[in-house]
Amino acid sequence: MSAAAADRDYNALSEDDFRREVRAFVEAEYPPHLRYILHRARWREMKDWWRKLDAKGWIAPNWPREWGGMALDAGKMVIYLEELERHGVARPPDQGITQVGPLIMRFGTGAQQEHYLPRTRSGEYIWCQGYSEPNAGSDLASLQTAAVLEGDHFVVNGQKIWTSLADDATHIYLLARTDRQAKKQQGISFLLVDLKTPGITLRSIRNLAGHEEFCHVFFDNVRVPRANLVGALHDGWTVAKALLGFERLGIGSPRRPQYALNRLEAVARAKGLLDDPGFLDRYIALRLDIEDGAALYGRFVEQVKRGEPLGPDVSMLKIWTMETWQRLTELLIEAGAEQGVIAGVQDAGGVEADFLNPFYYSRPATIYGGSSEIQRNILAKYVLKLPS
Amino acid sequence: MTPTLPAGSDGAAEQRLLLADSVADFTTRGTDIARVRRLRGTPQEYDRATWGRMAALGWLGILVPERYGGLGLGLGEMAVVAKGLARALTPEPLAATAVLAATALAAGDNDALKRDELPLLVSGESQPALAWQEEAGVLDPAAIQTRAVPFEGGYRLSGTKRFISGAAQADAFLVSAQTSDGIVLLWLPRATAGAGVALEPLADGRSFGTLRLQDALVPKGRVVASGPVAAESLARAFDHGAAIASAELLGVMERSLEMSLDYLKTRVQFGKPIGAFQALQHRAVDLHIQKELAGAVLEEALAALDRGPDAATRAQLASRAKARCADAALKITREAIQLHGAIGFTDDYDAGLYLKRALTLAAWLGHPVWHRRRYARLAAGVAA
Repeated sequence: MSAAAADRDYNALSEDDFRREVRAFVEAEYPPHLRYILHRARWREMKDWWRKLDAKGWIAPNWPREWGGMALDAGKMVIYLEELERHGVARPPDQGITQVGPLIMRFGTGAQQEHYLPRTRSGEYIWCQGYSEPNAGSDLASLQTAAVLEGDHFVVNGQKIWTSLADDATHIYLLARTDRQAKKQQGISFLLVDLKTPGITLRSIRNLAGHEEFCHVFFDNVRVPRANLVGALHDGWTVAKALLGFERLGIGSPRRPQYALNRLEAVARAKGLLDDPGFLDRYIALRLDIEDGAALYGRFVEQVKRGEPLGPDVSMLKIWTMETWQRLTELLIEAGAEQGVIAGVQDAGGVEADFLNPFYYSRPATIYGGSSEIQRNILAKYVLKLPS
Repeated sequence: MTPTLPAGSDGAAEQRLLLADSVADFTTRGTDIARVRRLRGTPQEYDRATWGRMAALGWLGILVPERYGGLGLGLGEMAVVAKGLARALTPEPLAATAVLAATALAAGDNDALKRDELPLLVSGESQPALAWQEEAGVLDPAAIQTRAVPFEGGYRLSGTKRFISGAAQADAFLVSAQTSDGIVLLWLPRATAGAGVALEPLADGRSFGTLRLQDALVPKGRVVASGPVAAESLARAFDHGAAIASAELLGVMERSLEMSLDYLKTRVQFGKPIGAFQALQHRAVDLHIQKELAGAVLEEALAALDRGPDAATRAQLASRAKARCADAALKITREAIQLHGAIGFTDDYDAGLYLKRALTLAAWLGHPVWHRRRYARLAAGVAA
């Protein structure tokens, strides 16, 4: 564990000092060629940066110091994320840090914590998420992958899909059905599985952008030690659900559309489009949609800083940010005219822009992490309390 | 709601039904999505044998007068073929060659050249493409830098043409250029010394060509048209091309919406087909309305175009159709991804191919905003 992390109380710093320190480090150390990349970053690209962060004690800002984290409070956490986003730092395959690590801390046994947390922090274990199935997407609780207890092992059969970067991962955290009699959300368990276990096959899936970033994962009589169960048997839904709050704040970050907004403005300026009142109106409307979204985001950030849990109303952030991002990428393509549909980086009036990739990458943003439809259902039911 | 029927008669209507049947038969047997996927991103872009079969069916000559070996039919007939082929995402350059190039050449006044080249275009032996545009978003045929400098035997051509559809296997280009006496339109075989073609990959797996010209020689006999005739040839080709691109957009949106509706009826979540959820029903209905609007506008525009209106009316009709069809197709194909969920974002699933074709067609020959602007300039009583 890095001595630097354990020794420092970042929360004692003023917000400005902390922001300056993060900014200086990111600007000095983050590889310039990986800024604002237009694909999901792979482990091979990110491992050096991961190790640099870990050496400084900064890889796990959300973790407590006893496990090598920075133990940031919510306010500092927001600053940390903002500074990385501001610089266009790509997200490494970090589900071990953001997702399964905190779950193991909260629900795992002492032995699980001792084994998994240090290896996850160091990057020895890279995690992917095994939740969705071909017939269980928005309706996740209808999942069918079965884990049958035989002695001291679960025998897992079934398949998971849309598993991001599974081919970069060493381990998968899995929701599997352990009780077929129980109703939907009951009877599901949360398992940690080594991807080298015999019986697991991966098949990568090519996406609209032509990249292979997610996988289909097949389980054929995969034997998983009972000791890899996190939380109580049949209680995996509670474990998985415990996370969704902060993730939804992050996913609604108004900085997400930054590349598209920045390129749109540069291209528009270079081509004189801002002199066109019709274009200017649409451009400014979108920019205000993002800035006003940032004001809304700010309210939720304040709530988190006050230590209050995020409620179901945070769903509106994801809807607004992601849908605005999509419309922005549509205008970017239009601004490119014929060049807007040519693949790769284009020179548009002296400005370099990739027109198609932002469009492609914003498409699933209203599908993953709870589709816009599901988010609207949540708002209608739990916020507006409309009858069902 | 029924628009004025095209110049024609029951005979014409019957002919279109037969044509539609023959296109449906062709797309069932002569092409499939595996072929389309195989050709994506390849330098040849399309399949010359399939092109030959399209020629054999007479489709490449629909707009070519009979005395040059064509069928001498109208845009209404061409739209039937274009829409049907677009439903199957065929990559063959029907609009680029059998509409843009054929119209520009036929509208010229070089009868000897037409007698030589149009029959070869109709038979599929020669596949020419129209090269007029130079700058992204600039669609005025007169706004070009390419120069044609006269010499005793003809012209010396220099300049760069971009965004040429159908360039991948083009055997010849119709190239517009400035002279001291206005615009000329010249016929340039691909293999001409001083002419080089580069390809840029498009979202839909086809490509735009860039034609670089440095003192490429064009003999007098290959001048397609000069001055006002050249300007009118280009304008006519552009408007007719935009109308047929609209028909392709209609084919793309029709098939895409069918796929979404099938999915809404079969995908089960929360214990019922997702199409049973009212929120999705309303979205599907809104998309259906867009498709119907697009079809109605296009039908009306095609009928009016086939009556041979003046240039300003022609431009307005083409712009109205392209603006609506492109916006509707973009909306329907984008929503197709959302309605399908994650599977819609995979390359294996065809919804993405329809989205990419819609993107490409929408950007080609003027995007919707450009067309609405032009419409506004031309519409009586609307200040530009």
